[in-house]
This record gives sequence, C-alpha cells and structure tokens, in this order.
Amino acid sequence: MKSEKKMNIALVGNPNTGKTSLFNQLTGLTQKVGNYPGITVDKKQGTCKLNATETAIITDLPGTYSINPTSMDESIVLETLLDNDHKNYPDVVVVVAEVENIKRNLFLFTQVKDLKIPTLLVINMADQMDRKGISIDLEELKAILNTEIVLVSARKREGIEDLKQALLRYETFDTTPLQSISDKIDKRYFEKIKSRLKGFSTYKSWLLITQKNPVGFISQASRTIIESFKEEEQRVKKYQHKETIYRYQYINEILKKTYFIDKDKAKDLRSNLDRILTHKIFGYVIFTAILLVMFQSVFNWASVPMDFIDLSFSNLSEWAKNALPEGVLSNLITEGIIPGIGGIVIFIPQIAILFLFVSILEETGYMSRVVFLMDKIMRRYGMSGKSVIPLISGTACAIPAIMATRNIVGWKDRLITILVTPFTTCSARLPVYAIIIALIIPDSRVLGLFSLQGLVLMALYILGFASALIAAFFLNKFLKVDRKTFFIVEMPNYKLPSLKNIAFDVFEKTKAFVFGAGKIILALSIVLWFLASNGGNDFKNASQIVAEKTVSQNLTEEELESELASFKLENSYIGRMGKIIEPVIQPLGYDWKIGIALISSFAAREVFVGTLSTIYSVGSDDEGTIKQRMAAEINPQTKERRFNFPAGMSLLVFYAFAMQCMGTLAIVKKETKSWKWPMLQLVGMGILAYVTAFVTFVILK
Amino acid sequence: MLQQVLVYVLLGVALLFLLRKYFFKGKKKNNCDSDCDCH
Repeated sequence: MKSEKKMNIALVGNPNTGKTSLFNQLTGLTQKVGNYPGITVDKKQGTCKLNATETAIITDLPGTYSINPTSMDESIVLETLLDNDHKNYPDVVVVVAEVENIKRNLFLFTQVKDLKIPTLLVINMADQMDRKGISIDLEELKAILNTEIVLVSARKREGIEDLKQALLRYETFDTTPLQSISDKIDKRYFEKIKSRLKGFSTYKSWLLITQKNPVGFISQASRTIIESFKEEEQRVKKYQHKETIYRYQYINEILKKTYFIDKDKAKDLRSNLDRILTHKIFGYVIFTAILLVMFQSVFNWASVPMDFIDLSFSNLSEWAKNALPEGVLSNLITEGIIPGIGGIVIFIPQIAILFLFVSILEETGYMSRVVFLMDKIMRRYGMSGKSVIPLISGTACAIPAIMATRNIVGWKDRLITILVTPFTTCSARLPVYAIIIALIIPDSRVLGLFSLQGLVLMALYILGFASALIAAFFLNKFLKVDRKTFFIVEMPNYKLPSLKNIAFDVFEKTKAFVFGAGKIILALSIVLWFLASNGGNDFKNASQIVAEKTVSQNLTEEELESELASFKLENSYIGRMGKIIEPVIQPLGYDWKIGIALISSFAAREVFVGTLSTIYSVGSDDEGTIKQRMAAEINPQTKERRFNFPAGMSLLVFYAFAMQCMGTLAIVKKETKSWKWPMLQLVGMGILAYVTAFVTFVILK
Repeated sequence: MLQQVLVYVLLGVALLFLLRKYFFKGKKKNNCDSDCDCH
C-alpha cells in the first residue's frame, strides 16, 4: 500500500443507483441526493478514513450506463478511467449497482473490469431484497466475476464498514479481464488495433476508437492512428453493437445461476401492483377498462375541437372562393387543396388523444405489463412471445412494427408475425373509422354512461387484434412452425409520468402523422381535383347535353346547376375511371366515388376522407363541412343516404381487413426479401376484406 | 391564362412527388431505421 500517497477510489455506476448516497456515507459529506437520474453531473471529491491509519480520496463520478459516453458528463468517467497519468487515476474502482436492476448495472461493471483496474462491486439497496423477493448467490457471483462484492444499503448505513475493509485489500484484487470480447467480434481486426496502438491494452484502444470526441491525454501519433480506425464508421458501429450483445449474453448466463426473484415472496408496492395488473382475470379486466376509457375519450373529448376544425375549413374554403379572383387556380385551391387538407387536419384531436393515452401507459410502465399479459394469449395461438411487441406497436404504424420483428429468432415465427401485423388497427385507420362511425352510429349512450360510438371504435380495435391472432393460428398450422422462442420481458419500475415527456411525445407523433400524410394528401388533392375538373367531349359539352336532357323537366336554376355539376363529375376523367371499377365494388354498397377513395387510400389509408372531401367539393356548389357533405350524399337508385348503416358497416369491415398500405407492402418485401409474401398479404387480405364487406352489406341491407 | 399555367405546374410537381414517393424511390443518404415512411 502506498504510504506517502492517499489511495484514490473512484465511484462509478448507472444513474439512480444510490452512488451519491454511498459517497456521502463514506465521506461524511452531504451532497444533494435525488431519486431521479443525473444528480452527479460533475465529479465530486471527499476523503474517507478507511481505518486508523489509512485515508482515501473518493471521487464520485457522474452516472453513466456504459463507458461509451454520449454526453459531456459521461466523458468525465471515460477520461478518468483511461488516463493512467491523471492525478485522480483510481487505485481501485467501486462500481455501484442497484439490486433490482443488476443486469443493466453489470454491463458497466464488465466494461470497467476489462480495463484491468482493480474493481469492486457494490450491490446497493440490499435492504430491499426481502421485500422484492430477491436472493443472490453471492459466493457463486464472486467466483464467476472474479471480484470482491459487498452488499450495502447506503440509505440505512448498512455494509459500509464491510466495504471499507474490502477496499483496504484492493492490492490483492484480481485484474484479469472477464472475457475476450475481441476474439468473438473479429479477432483479426482487434489484432490489427493491438499491433498499431502498442502503448494501450486492446480494450482501452477499442474504447478510444469508439469515442465521438477525441480525448485530450493521448499523443498526436496515437490520435492519428485512432482517427484512421474511426474512418470505418459503419464497422465501428457494428462492432459496438456486437459488443453490447455479447456482454448481455454473458451477463444473462451469470444471472441465471446467481440471481433469483421469487414473485410470491415479494411484498413491495411494485410487486403487489404487478400481481393485480398481470393477474389472469383482473389483469384483463383492468386492461379492458383502460381501453374502454381510452376509446370513449377519443370520441367524447375530440368532438368539440373536431367540429371547430371542420367548420373552420368550410369557412376558409368559402372565404377563399369570395376573396380570390375567378379562375382555375382559385378553383383548385377552394375545391381541391383546402377540402383535401381539411380531411386530415380534422383528425388531429382524435389522434392526439389516442397518442396521449398510449404515451401515459408507456411512461408509467403499464405497457410492459400489457406485453406480459398478451404474451400468454399469443402462445395459445401458436405465436412467439416476442411477437407481442410488433403487434402492440402496430397500433401506431405497421412499418416500424414489422421492423421490430427482427429480434424474433425463429424465421417462421418472424414470418408469421410479419404477415399478421397489418391486421392490428394502425393510427391511419382511425380517421376512416372515426368519420364512418360518426355518420352511421348514433351519438347515444349505453347504460347512460358509455358512448356507443366509442364502443364501436373499441370493437374495431379488438377485431383487428383478434384477426391477427386467428390468422396466426391458421398460418401456424399451414407453415408448420417447428421452433419456439422464449420471451423475457424486463418490467420497468412504475413511475409518475413526466408531463414534459408526454407533451413532447404526443406533439412529435401527431406532427409526424399530420405532416407525413399531409404531403401525400396535398399532392393527391391536386391530381384528383384536376381529374375531376377535366374530361372528354361529354364533359366539355356538359351544359348543352344537360340542357337538352332536362328541357322537358322544368327544373329550377338551382336544380339545373346541381344536375350539371353531377353530370360533369360523372363524365370527368376521374368519373370515367370510377365507373370502370364501379361494377366490382357495387355489391359492397359503394359507388364509384367511394371506389376512387378506396384506390387513392392505397397510398395511405387516411387519404380516404380527404379524397371524398375533394370529390364531393368538386361535384357540388353547396358549402358545408366534410361530415355534412358525406351525410348529404344520396344514392340515386335507392334515394337513401349513400353512407347508410349497411354501406357504412361494410366500409368499416373492408378497412379492418384490407391491406391498404403501399409502405407496409414495401417493408414486408424488404424484410422477407421476396415479393411472394407481400403479394400473399395483398391478395389474401384483399379477398378477406371483399368477402366480409360483401357479407356484412348483404346481411344488413 | 396565368392561373392555368400555375395549375399545370402544381399538377406536375404533385405527380412528380407521388411517382418519386411510390415508384422511383431515390437512395436515402442515411440509413434511418426508425423512419416509418408510411405516409
């Protein structure tokens, strides 16, 4: 032991592990302690009397999840641990872990240990072990990690003396690295690093290469070599990713043998809540109740702002018509662009409310419990537990959900998940559902409490999820899945949601929805308006033809204008195109205008309303909101409303099943590397949608 | 006449945008995995 020099101890750990509390206990200082991450943003120092003769300088370094820093304060940890000549270079590093999140904490520990610095592992909050039903085979863990381990409770001042005694023995600590990551990743590459950067250990060299900002303590020559390795940016990223995977695999293996949680013995609030929220009966009851509140709110809270937006766009269109000089550009703006854009902006309140609920459920930690609950159902339908995440995230958008299937190990499990994910109700279906429900379902209450419209919306979400499960069941039989993967979900702690995080999340997601769809709708509105405002000879001679046809009918000027607008629309380019497809969709209760909306919504489902809004706007001189225009549309054959109950239900069923999304098809092709599977989805889901919509219409007609 | 020209320009831009988006995708500069790209 150094007699003339005080021993240097560095405290390292993940944020929120009680590192600062431990520092205070050791040094007698009173640094501010918080139960949220980021208390230690700069290093702090104090002295600690280890025994009668030995005093140590303790440096409390900022909390970090790894020694691959992403922020300035995390860089302090790296520089302190890598610079051997630094005045604070530690004689021993104390890695502070928290008993409940030991897996994540051990990631940092394995990195520090591989730097060949004497390292001691402190497992803090040990007093919580009984309440949480946790037990650790400490001797086995010490043996595997080849490290001194001390259980402490900094808050209760338990284990502090044991820690001091262990620190006095630091010179006897084994500094052998835990594992040779470099051999597993790319032996030749790391040998090249070793041969070029001779002054450093391989792992230290690798850490220097992975740093974004150059560190100050190395020579210019070494820096040049490091920069040359950094040039292979993709390779560095890929190997960093591999390092993370290998370390976690290693940690998982260790914890399987040494770390046990007995949920039945746990008595803390989290465990009690978990027992209720993941209960085989109450869990589902609570989840259903939350869904009920969510979908009720989507309709109840959004109605006022939606009506306001609808009316505002209608007024804007009317104002623009009066204010702009007459001409085709003015017509394009008032009949094409404004109604088209209005068709998406109107749904901002509903989308925002939906995202608000999802964000709160995620922030509080409840969503992980839902994943756990759903996992049990998945298995019954022959799906992998890992399929839960894509199916749940598919409620936002199928594309990232399909990308999320990459972590499913078995190919067939993964393929089934990719194929059924588009059944789950994505946010793009919400505008279609919302407007059709508002048109065909009365705004009444069930049991005087629940909005009937909200219940129908919830039923459609359940239909989507159930369809995914049933489809998976049949695909499972057909594809003969012979391999199952097991799913381990790490449940985060419950916490009060941060208003700032939620507001940001809702804003970002709503913005992405509106601006993403908005660009397509704007472009499509222009094209659709053009196709609806131009046509062949019949269109050009419309006034003469209509006048001849109606000469004996004694129509008023208003009736004549309406007849003319209708004739022109039917004989416009879009009218002709629509008439070609009309025989195919007529059995489902749709006319050619809905047919055009169905085709254009293949670009993105939410385009449906904007398309109809543009078509109805061109085909009528009457001003009105989107909802009013759709409600006023009459079927000329039956003289009934076009969007009556049978046709509306048929449309809802059609959209629930149809694969109306080019983006999803493209990503399925990319992920399966074949057109076979997206084509199977397109045709299979298309036939299912057509048949079920037809049956629905025939039964309800 | 000017309004007609502007309408045709807007139509051309809209068509170009839709064709590029769905049929002739340009290569992206960075590999953004989280991009939904569904709109």
